[in-house]
Amino acid sequence: MPKSMSVVREAIAGDEADDAMVERVAAGQAKEQVKAGRKVLPIVEGVVLVAALLAPLVLQDYLTVFATRVIILALFALSFDLVWGYAGIMSFGQALFFGSAGYGVALLARDLDITNIFLVLPAGTLIGLTFALLLGGFLLLGRHPSSVIFVSLGTLTGSYAADRLARGWYYLGGQNGIPSIAPMSLGGYEFTEGPAFYYLVLGILVVVYLLCRFLVRSQFGLALAGLRENEQRIAFFGYKAQHLKAIIFAIGGAIAGLAGSLYAFHEGFVWPNMVGVVVSTQVVLYVLFGGSGTLIGAVIGTVIVEGVSFWLSDNYRDIWPIILGLLLLLVILFRPLGLISFVLGERERVGSFGARPKGTEKETEKEKRNAAP
Amino acid sequence: MANAFVAAFEILSFGAIIVLIVLGLGIIASMMGIFNFAQGEFVLLGAYITYLAYAKGLPIWAGMVAAPFVVGALGFVLEALIIRRFYAAPIVAMLGTYALGLIIREAVRGLIGGFYLTVPEPIGGSIDIGAMHISAWRFTIIVITLLVMAGCYLLLSRTSFGLRMRATLENPSLARASGISTPLMYGATFAFGSALAGLAGALIVPVFSLYADLGLRFLIQGFVAVMVGGVGSFIGPVAGAGVIGTLSAALPWVMAPVVADVLVFVLAIVFIKFRPQGLIAGKGV
Repeated sequence: MPKSMSVVREAIAGDEADDAMVERVAAGQAKEQVKAGRKVLPIVEGVVLVAALLAPLVLQDYLTVFATRVIILALFALSFDLVWGYAGIMSFGQALFFGSAGYGVALLARDLDITNIFLVLPAGTLIGLTFALLLGGFLLLGRHPSSVIFVSLGTLTGSYAADRLARGWYYLGGQNGIPSIAPMSLGGYEFTEGPAFYYLVLGILVVVYLLCRFLVRSQFGLALAGLRENEQRIAFFGYKAQHLKAIIFAIGGAIAGLAGSLYAFHEGFVWPNMVGVVVSTQVVLYVLFGGSGTLIGAVIGTVIVEGVSFWLSDNYRDIWPIILGLLLLLVILFRPLGLISFVLGERERVGSFGARPKGTEKETEKEKRNAAP
Repeated sequence: MANAFVAAFEILSFGAIIVLIVLGLGIIASMMGIFNFAQGEFVLLGAYITYLAYAKGLPIWAGMVAAPFVVGALGFVLEALIIRRFYAAPIVAMLGTYALGLIIREAVRGLIGGFYLTVPEPIGGSIDIGAMHISAWRFTIIVITLLVMAGCYLLLSRTSFGLRMRATLENPSLARASGISTPLMYGATFAFGSALAGLAGALIVPVFSLYADLGLRFLIQGFVAVMVGGVGSFIGPVAGAGVIGTLSAALPWVMAPVVADVLVFVLAIVFIKFRPQGLIAGKGV
């Protein structure tokens, strides 16, 4: 107790003792909030992980296939969340990377008979990365910073143009896309729909999730969060804001490419919608629903939207999109941080960066002081 | 000679259609700073109202006259209820209007099913000039587009309503201080933009027939046209629409349609990248 008092005194030398007292109490409360808040995110992540691990054991076969698709889409949603939720780049064309990777691996399998998992997945990731570098480099870099509107409409147009191209190009199968892609293989083993594919995809999702988690909690992630909140200030600090944006855009594209190649092999076919505006906006829906700016929010949003849509599609196929639109509107108007914000506080959503303080009172108070606006 | 003339007419009439659709989009984007993703669905609604009038046995003209008023009224209500909350944040506005558009589109899809419904042209037949025949209805669309364009221009530049509208756009706080009710002006502007979209939908439905994704088809073209023309003025988006409409109708005559389709978008994006202010920079009419 005396130690903490002395720290506070140092900090606000010359102030009244009463003020110090108030500050200390406030600091104590903040500490409790931090303590209480710190627990929520790992719990949510843990629950989701356990549920995902157990899912194939309790689900029927056809539901496992559906769950696999959801996990792949969650991976895709993660890529959009990195780009929009963390860097504040509105990418309305994320499906461009998803779909072009899908088409790429489909062509590899069709024309070159390459289905080895260690070849096709890196190839898909590379395709996504390359396209994202090209498009992102063009839209984001340059002498003058691009406006937010230009980037969002540029990505949207890119996705739409790719859709039109895929529809009209005979080599890519035109309207019908590329059907009956051979299954992904590992040595003699073939990954067909089912629990094995599910756990493969889940494993990839967990690895990518952990990588993203590391990324957004790193110094780089801190700069990104600053970019999202106030780009000009970050630029004044000496960061090359455009380069940061291009880098995260490319990483997002790579993850979308990975998801796209998995999707192509899981579904067994690719079709023009996969690069088009429909899928691009769908991934926006997932992330907005779940909560942008938290990685787990993207995953939860995907599971909820896809799950409810699957559940309702038998009886309410016609009105489900209308309900989806209404819900989306409500979320945008009243819960801009998504469903996850019901359980997650603002402080935890933003997170802390660098090494965690060891929990001594001194450091907590310092943290409190730094965090104070 | 005759072929060239027919081609020129086709290009002109498609350009006119794009201009008609972009008018409303451009006014809302320029005057309010909102890229309205629901604009395509306002077009769809205009088309649907026309179809409804036709299906109920009313004259098609009646539906076409009613469409802009109904859609405009809807726009006014939506602005007051929802759009008003988005002014500070352009990206949120995009997402919010996208959600609105989704609701309207799916509702219409529920009403008409997955069909392509045709509505006959109120003015059928063709105009014959020597050996050449051009569609009378497409010609009417060109004429109406010119009239509407001139009307909008006069409204914005010559009337006190237009003056107040532009004042609200350029300096909202000064406009408020001068006694202009800016919320009302925003509402009126949005309603006006929606009404133009409704009119566009009503006029083009005989050409393209009615289906749920009718609006979506023109939305992205419209956005690109607005950006190419330049946000901030009335004349900018119109010029952009003319360029984009003409290009997308003309290029398929000289190259493979697939390539032409994509090329228009690529050219437009490259153009905007290097000239962000668009063809016609600056604010005003």
